[in-house]
Amino acid sequence: MHNRVNINVHHVTRVEGHGNIVVNVADGRIETLQWQVPEAPRFFEAMVRERSYEDIQTIVSRICGICSITHSLAATKAVESALGLQVSEQTDKIRILMHYSEQLQSHILHVGYLAAPDFFGVPSVVPLVAIAADVVKTVVRVHRVANEWSDLLAGRTTHPVTLRPGGLTRIPTEKQLRQLKKTLKDTVPDLKIIADAVLSVAANIPKFERQTEYVSLKQTNPPTYSFYHGGITSTDNNGQVIPIERWHEVTNEYVCPQSTAKWTKWHRDCYAVGALARFNNNSELLSPMGKDAAKMFGLKKGCCNPFMNTVAQLVECFHVVEASIVLIDQILSKGLKEEKVTSAPRAGKGAGCVEAPRGILFHEYEFDKDGNCIAADICIPTNQNHANIQKDFEKLLPEILGQSENEIRLKLEMLVRSYDPCISCSTHMLNVQFVR
Amino acid sequence: MTQHTHKKDVVLGLGNVLMSDEGVGVHLIARLSALKKNFPHVDFIDAGTAGMSVLHLIANRRKAVIIDCAEMQTAPGTIRRFGPQQVKSVKTLTHYSCHEADILQIVGICRQLGQSPDEIIFFGIEPQTVAPGRALSQTLADRLDDYVDAVCKELT
Repeated sequence: MHNRVNINVHHVTRVEGHGNIVVNVADGRIETLQWQVPEAPRFFEAMVRERSYEDIQTIVSRICGICSITHSLAATKAVESALGLQVSEQTDKIRILMHYSEQLQSHILHVGYLAAPDFFGVPSVVPLVAIAADVVKTVVRVHRVANEWSDLLAGRTTHPVTLRPGGLTRIPTEKQLRQLKKTLKDTVPDLKIIADAVLSVAANIPKFERQTEYVSLKQTNPPTYSFYHGGITSTDNNGQVIPIERWHEVTNEYVCPQSTAKWTKWHRDCYAVGALARFNNNSELLSPMGKDAAKMFGLKKGCCNPFMNTVAQLVECFHVVEASIVLIDQILSKGLKEEKVTSAPRAGKGAGCVEAPRGILFHEYEFDKDGNCIAADICIPTNQNHANIQKDFEKLLPEILGQSENEIRLKLEMLVRSYDPCISCSTHMLNVQFVR
Repeated sequence: MTQHTHKKDVVLGLGNVLMSDEGVGVHLIARLSALKKNFPHVDFIDAGTAGMSVLHLIANRRKAVIIDCAEMQTAPGTIRRFGPQQVKSVKTLTHYSCHEADILQIVGICRQLGQSPDEIIFFGIEPQTVAPGRALSQTLADRLDDYVDAVCKELT
């Protein structure tokens, strides 16, 4: 064990946004060990106030440049709930298909560009090109497929324009959907190449475990490995599912001095969200290829190694591609029809919840009778992981104190990266009132 | 979905439209897209702050024209045409984020992967104002037609 360790990572690299790791060990005793989030607040909840219900999903999509479709979908669902709007089965299915595109796009970005350098022992994707060019080429190919898939359904790769409360402003043609299905089928061999490459370096994934609570969506009717419908469950909730309208009972947000982002807790002092949480709550519902991928890596329900979140993301890449092929067949079998999007303002309050690639995401809005927003509350997944990251640190550091300072730093950084945090999204301001 | 396996040309406009002149590349794509019928062999793409996505947007193209705001130590509003070999980046990268990319580095990765376009041309436009704001500075706004002409000349 080292008597003296002093680590100040300011900021962690290959994550979205700014987070610091501070470690001070003196005389073999841990004096400071903190996961800090110093990112400035973003004020989105204030920005949407007094804006029309029709504008909300467009504004909040800007919270993130990676999971903008997810934010738009959560907002659209919340607005529709507040206004009592129902959408058609066709709209619902196309939105889910759109959402899958973002899961693939975000996961492949994280697995291929952000996490893979750790597994291959290089500092970034740039040197990775020199040692694994074919794998990087494959990642680029899959990333392109996912981005163009988003383009087709969302109108843009990032910051969608086709979502409206009550429906979609544009739908793809049957020909485009058939082409997409072919493209997705052709992508499966590429996913296998990426999975084989990650498996070849899987020995570099740290073997660390800490029991915690895993929170995600769960859809029971019909049972689905859900990113979009259902209620909230957790590994500590005895299989019970609670309605998304009660999300505040889950998140219990609180302020922590070391973080500009709020922290959350439910049954314990922290919980985790993301691909591993979804897997731990729903793995029996994965598609056949998703199950095969999990088996390949020995990933089993109940896994509590946070470093395996990246593997769970890879498993989900297979799942969303296979589930999308099935979904496209379902859409095509009913035939596509143009639908008019109609909505009307009314006073109301509603919550919307979807799984972002990084975990469960909550949006809630209240509108006056003219449909103008009077209150907003958003809780994003990375918020919900901050306390869990801190608790992981507290278990991991004593276990690795015998290693060199550089190795300790790398392990802690890898741990943060395994959560695929989107720190810029997770910071939001305390409740403030503007003096008029 | 767009098929990039055939060798079409691409024009990418880079930048952040919320930071006034920093978004000039994107403003130009909006103008150039209106002329699309004159250039059927060209995809005009608003790449915004796309970061690593630029890799697959330019991969295997015949020609890639990249328009971006550039600090070149010239007078504000100046447009300069150059190839990747004519410049070196002095941008400090921290690898904090996938949004934080150095376009020259991405072009380098593309070359290393053997997927570089046959020809890459940059148009750098010297900013007047890089600060929060959605409008271009008057200096750049007054010259938008010149910029469009310069890019169109490159495509014919």
